[in-house]
Amino acid sequence: MWAYEDLVVKAVEYGGKIGADYVEARYHRLKRSSIASRNGGVIGAESSVSEGIAVRVLAGGVLGFSSTTILSREGVSKAVEDAFRKARAISGLVKKPVKFSDENLGRATYECVEAVKASEVSVEEKISFMSELWKRVSDAPSDARVATLTSFLRESEEVKIYANSDGAFVRSRIPRLSISYNVVVTLPSKGTIQRFFSHSAVGGYELAEKWRILDYLPEDVKTFEKILKEGKKPPTGKPIDVIVGSEIVGLMVHESCGHPSEADRILGREAAQAGKSFIKPNMIGMRIGSEHATVIDDPTIPGSNGFYLYDDEGVPARARYLYKEGLINEFLHNRWTAEVFGTHSNAAARSAGHWGEPIIRMANTYLKPGDHSFEELLEGVKYGVYIKSYMEWNIDDERWSQRYGGLEAYLIENGELKHLIRNPVLELTTKKFYSSIDAAGKDLRFYAGICGKGEPAQGVPVWFGGPDVRLRNVILRVTGE
Amino acid sequence: MKEELLSLVNGAVKRAIELGFDEAAVLSVYRESTMVKFANGEPSIVQSWSSNQMSIYVSKEKRLLGTSAPASSLEEAYRMLANLGRISAKMPPSILYAPLPEPRSVEPLSGLVDRKALEAVSDPSRASEVIVEAVQRRDIESFAGMLQISYSVKALATNTGSELAEDSTEVQAYVRAFAGEGSGQWAYGSRTLDLSKLEEMAETASDLAYRSRRQENISPGKYNILLSPMVAGNLLNYVAWMATGSSVLLGQSIFINKKPGDTVASEKLTLMDVPRQPQLPGSTAFDDEGIPTYNKPIIERGYLKTLLHNTKTAAKLGAKSTGNAGLVFPRVWALSVEPGEMSFEELLEETGNGLVVTNNWYTRLQNYVEGIFSTITRDAAFIVKNGEIVGAARKFRIADTLPNLLRNISSLGKEVYDIYWWEVEIPTRTPYILAKNIGTSKHTA
Repeated sequence: MWAYEDLVVKAVEYGGKIGADYVEARYHRLKRSSIASRNGGVIGAESSVSEGIAVRVLAGGVLGFSSTTILSREGVSKAVEDAFRKARAISGLVKKPVKFSDENLGRATYECVEAVKASEVSVEEKISFMSELWKRVSDAPSDARVATLTSFLRESEEVKIYANSDGAFVRSRIPRLSISYNVVVTLPSKGTIQRFFSHSAVGGYELAEKWRILDYLPEDVKTFEKILKEGKKPPTGKPIDVIVGSEIVGLMVHESCGHPSEADRILGREAAQAGKSFIKPNMIGMRIGSEHATVIDDPTIPGSNGFYLYDDEGVPARARYLYKEGLINEFLHNRWTAEVFGTHSNAAARSAGHWGEPIIRMANTYLKPGDHSFEELLEGVKYGVYIKSYMEWNIDDERWSQRYGGLEAYLIENGELKHLIRNPVLELTTKKFYSSIDAAGKDLRFYAGICGKGEPAQGVPVWFGGPDVRLRNVILRVTGE
Repeated sequence: MKEELLSLVNGAVKRAIELGFDEAAVLSVYRESTMVKFANGEPSIVQSWSSNQMSIYVSKEKRLLGTSAPASSLEEAYRMLANLGRISAKMPPSILYAPLPEPRSVEPLSGLVDRKALEAVSDPSRASEVIVEAVQRRDIESFAGMLQISYSVKALATNTGSELAEDSTEVQAYVRAFAGEGSGQWAYGSRTLDLSKLEEMAETASDLAYRSRRQENISPGKYNILLSPMVAGNLLNYVAWMATGSSVLLGQSIFINKKPGDTVASEKLTLMDVPRQPQLPGSTAFDDEGIPTYNKPIIERGYLKTLLHNTKTAAKLGAKSTGNAGLVFPRVWALSVEPGEMSFEELLEETGNGLVVTNNWYTRLQNYVEGIFSTITRDAAFIVKNGEIVGAARKFRIADTLPNLLRNISSLGKEVYDIYWWEVEIPTRTPYILAKNIGTSKHTA
């Protein structure tokens, strides 16, 4: 499993020899296999290997990065030379040299072990799962029709060998399973409802059963039909109470706490791509929300989609308390931003593959649960809306103005769920969201996603989650108005 | 390099047939690329890539299998094929199966390689300096951005007899400048390295930042909106992607219930897929099944003219391949919007009272079939009153449906821009486009 270790070590040695101030090398392999189906029929099977060695150097205060898929001594030496030569060539344009913080770096090997290796489960069994899913889903509605159900079953294995000139040496193996689907339910007189969803976690085929998709998706489809038939316009124009489902809360904390807390974004390094941050360098300790607004990002949650124990700079991982009881508390750091801020890295450097530089990323971001049952959250609402799930969403590049288009949502009257409503939109500022939380549920749920950032764009697996939360005095909108 | 890659892909096809597969198509792409990333007015990192990636498509008794991996030797290709052999017997026939096409004569595309770009792959410092200098001609506070220059060689072989190779260079650049409350971003994509175009791109970004440095709020509602080429490129990328056969089959398209000849846009709009426009990255002479590419309207004068197909989606939807094959699903090569006749000033006059949006991001759909979307402005947006720009607006969303946006296009500019960046992944040549009576939204508190 640890082939190419010698090339990694030699790359670090060679970079030092040719004069780099700092060198790191990472062998990074992602093996993926997937089966795709549409309406119960198989489209095909695909497998891929993304494999190569990434080299990063510091030369003349400039970061140089190079990646090669040519896994020979010559190929890797050329990568080291490219990174060094091109960084040095451009050093005349640099005003602030890059430096790294001092850290206690890891020397370790770790591996996640699947209960059932997905590669050892027969293709027939996987296909049978997808066929059964179509059968149950297409049979579910009474008047509406399931126009399309596409599903993808993906398994992957990520292997990394990392070394740097400051003494880090970390090897890891992480397997993941993912099942995603897109279902379109249509009732010609009423329109369509569409739902994309992905499950993904570290582990093996045992997860397929745990997710219980065969059980819940047909029920969801029945609900989508009901939304088409009975969904009413949401109340708009005046402040009401809104219970936001954990699925949306998870996305909201990812978008409006995790991203703006990335220290490279705060320092402007991603300004032309993922954007800047409303959080400025001197805002630690400032109030952003109510006492219920505690947001944690933790790479060390066993089985999580964003799991790791050492980041891609060799720094040991730990939980980060980004917002704590309503205050901005901690940024996500790599070794460069930690040096700029005079602190230590909290191990947020991640790379999506051998072709990507390690940059600051989230892992598993969630709002800390409270003590309310769902019924208790409802009880406190005289007139409001419960939005359980979403489709459309976006947020501005400073992470201040955010919008979520509700999919499954209900009117609440006197503490009870009433009729379904269609296309409510929660569109509010980050501060308004965190400040309006007056109670949080006690059930913590996680959702899987691929988070994009960087140039070239790097998608890394993450989880985001939280409990259901209750917001007071929020004005809703509706799509299309 | 072309000969070397052709020998590799031919060897892999031969082995696939020896292993008992009925069909094989093998594509190998060698790529050298350099990127300088800027932040806070200086380079933040210089990145280089050297890769050799092979993609293999095989079928056996109508079962479809695909794989891709780094491969610079036949031994590596043989290993990939052996892995496919192990799972093929267990697969059922594909619902998308169609035979690989017979080889056709492919007219090579000239002008895909630029010597200056090729040299700059090894040394991007001069082009970087040009950007840094040009962006600072205006009184801005800082800038960020990116310059990437690449050289690629691709070779394709199929068991039906296609043997094709092509090399190309590619330049992608964008700058985002900041001044006061404002920012401006502009992008450029080409097969050639033209320093004057990089200067223009950088100057446009800093000019937009400067002119939007003081901003005011607008009320959400319906507006006439003049979409810059950055915004038009982003939204038309979605439209074009929805016009692929696979998007229709997989339930991700506003064209699901449409057929060629149906009206889907204003008569002012003609949107083309232009693989044979060699100035645009994405241009190529042949697709991944060896079919010659050709320029074609997706939407012509408002009518849906054709969906984009490979042989598989074409067979499933009763059409013919349009030379847009990826190995499994069709792809859009490059886009071109037929320009109109108006100058920018005339477009402003036509806008009357409305908005100019120069850049957007985070376009997301509530429903792909109905095309309900929103997207948020990112950089300079201007307020237009009586045909003149009178101020800059703070961020808001365009929130409407794609069909409505397409129907409400009323005028197009005569000058076109070649846009290619993060939010416009399919290189797009487009003018400013005016769409009337379009919904906007903004946070409530």
